[in-house]
Amino acid sequence: MKLTKIKKKLWRWETSLVVLLLLEIVVFGALNPRFLKPRVLLGSINDFMSICVIALFVTFVLITGGMDIQAGSIVGLTSISIGLLWQDFGMNIWAAALLSLIIGALCGALSGFFVAYTDVQPMVVTLGGSFLYSGLAIAVTNLSATESYKGISGFPSYFTGFSKFRLLGVPSQVLIFLALIVLSYLLLHKTKYGRSVFLCGVNRNAAEYSGINTRLVMMSTYVLSGISASLAGIILTSYLGTAKADFGKELTLPIITAVVLGGTSNLGGRGGVIGTALAALVIGIMRFGLSMAGLNTQYLDIPVGLLLIVAVAFRGLTGRSKWLGSLLQKLRERGKNKSKVSA
Amino acid sequence: MLNLKKILKSREITSLAFVVLLFVGVGAINPNFLSSQNIMLSLNGSVVFTMLAVGIAFVIITAEIDVSVGATLGLSAAVSATLLRDGAPWGVAISAALAVGLVVGLINGFGVVVLKIPSIIMTLGVNGVVRGLCYVYTNGKWVENLPFAYKALSQAMVGGMTWFYLGALLLTVAIHLFLTRTRWGRYFAAVGDNAGGATLIGIPVGRTKMVGFVLCALMAAVAGLMYVSRIGFVTPTAGNGYEMKAIAACVLGGVSLAGGIGSVVGAALGAIIMASIGRILVFLQFSSDYDNTITGILLITIVVVDALMQRRAAEKARRERLTARIAEPAAAKGGEEQ
Repeated sequence: MKLTKIKKKLWRWETSLVVLLLLEIVVFGALNPRFLKPRVLLGSINDFMSICVIALFVTFVLITGGMDIQAGSIVGLTSISIGLLWQDFGMNIWAAALLSLIIGALCGALSGFFVAYTDVQPMVVTLGGSFLYSGLAIAVTNLSATESYKGISGFPSYFTGFSKFRLLGVPSQVLIFLALIVLSYLLLHKTKYGRSVFLCGVNRNAAEYSGINTRLVMMSTYVLSGISASLAGIILTSYLGTAKADFGKELTLPIITAVVLGGTSNLGGRGGVIGTALAALVIGIMRFGLSMAGLNTQYLDIPVGLLLIVAVAFRGLTGRSKWLGSLLQKLRERGKNKSKVSA
Repeated sequence: MLNLKKILKSREITSLAFVVLLFVGVGAINPNFLSSQNIMLSLNGSVVFTMLAVGIAFVIITAEIDVSVGATLGLSAAVSATLLRDGAPWGVAISAALAVGLVVGLINGFGVVVLKIPSIIMTLGVNGVVRGLCYVYTNGKWVENLPFAYKALSQAMVGGMTWFYLGALLLTVAIHLFLTRTRWGRYFAAVGDNAGGATLIGIPVGRTKMVGFVLCALMAAVAGLMYVSRIGFVTPTAGNGYEMKAIAACVLGGVSLAGGIGSVVGAALGAIIMASIGRILVFLQFSSDYDNTITGILLITIVVVDALMQRRAAEKARRERLTARIAEPAAAKGGEEQ
């Protein structure tokens, strides 16, 4: 009985992601043995930390049935705010980072407010938000003494250092990512708030009638994604040592891919952060591995885009198509029988 | 039905009023803006966005979305520009661009209609793939040294207006008539308004959506051809982000992303606004760096105001129905029984 339960769990979507991840590591390791060095493999997260961090919390937005295509532009706004507050306003760097985090939260709150309280489609609001925040980032750059294309640099070493140090060989960004996974997992899957996020996506009216303030819950998910985008911006600024307005411009595709590939439905009501975290790693490792194998970084959207389409198509097909569904069913039953025999 | 028509009509008229108000408002501050030459420049400059917005309107009216038009424009521009540079006949270059559009449109349609992938996901993925192909095809280099005669096409005028814009205008009107006056054309709004209902009365929902995606990508390809002629060279990032501006143009023009509401005329008007924001900023002596900020504020304000007004109208209608029912319970009962 217990074994069948384990088997059942093993057949979940997350399992296929783990398999995919291991497969990637084996393939890229074969292509370039240097890839398998723990230092390189663990350090690779520095290249795609933003995707990991933001995707975790955009998952919340998608579960309520929303859509968030503005997170990338908040990364740039955060980055340039830190630089500006520190260099041109003479603020302490940590205070500047904290203030930027609040700016990110406010950006999320503004869009979230319009989505939740005016019933405009989330796609339209966050489209407007992405224009507005990336525009503000450029406009704010003009306040600085530094020319915009150069970016602001020269941050103190204790700020640029926090994203680079290693604890027993494990990069600090891996630790931050793990901490955020635990935090978001607890928040989404173990708290009352998390349940209400799901309920908003499953049936908003039912949630409203059962006493949940659905508008507030929906708005809060955008605040969370705004904060996470800001956090990603702070880490990116620290890691690269430069503050620029156009950071995060190309993040929309990988973020949405990570969330959807992770098993979260874009129609709301289904999903989880563990899947998102795994999917973000799958995408990140794929980008990193392919570029290490010598592929031009500008081509990397091709495999990511294909992965997105194939994953969603596959999930849809196994749900609907008779023979694929029955094939999976058979596999599952065979697994069950085997476990019975062994029991 | 008559009521619905009225709303449709008023939406276009409000968009038109907004465009006129915007131009007059800017003209009040800087009279040079209202010179016929500048107005013509604004119109002519919006031709690429007009083609994209009208194309995307097809898809949005069927309640789907297409965020791959930017990359489609880029790839068709790159393909046709390379052919033109290497001395291929114009016909070949144009057909190649259209073929790119056709293939991308069919792939989008296949994914959404047959594989049932949500359109935002499908076209987001396709956008990434096609943009990547742009880099592969151009090898990351600019396509330059295009034949002068082709570049001159975009400068050919008829009464102050470029042939391109006149063509786009006529095409928009033709498409509008097709969508509102023909049986096939009305399928689009029907599918977007209520796909289930459309299926029940025998409208081929899947095929209509498929046609929408193909037409959208074909329009993006035509926009790519115009882009090549207007700009005179093609970078691998040509058209990057245009998809968002085209969607914004549709929304500004009163096309609802919920489907079924809006028209291509509105989308074309929205495209004029989108293309003019940069120019307006210059005339008001602001840096055009504020382009995106203004676009974002405009977009959010318009959709929020629109949503609030619609909600108020719906509540008013409900209240009227309620009072009518209280005042004449018998009549209301009779009405219900019918």
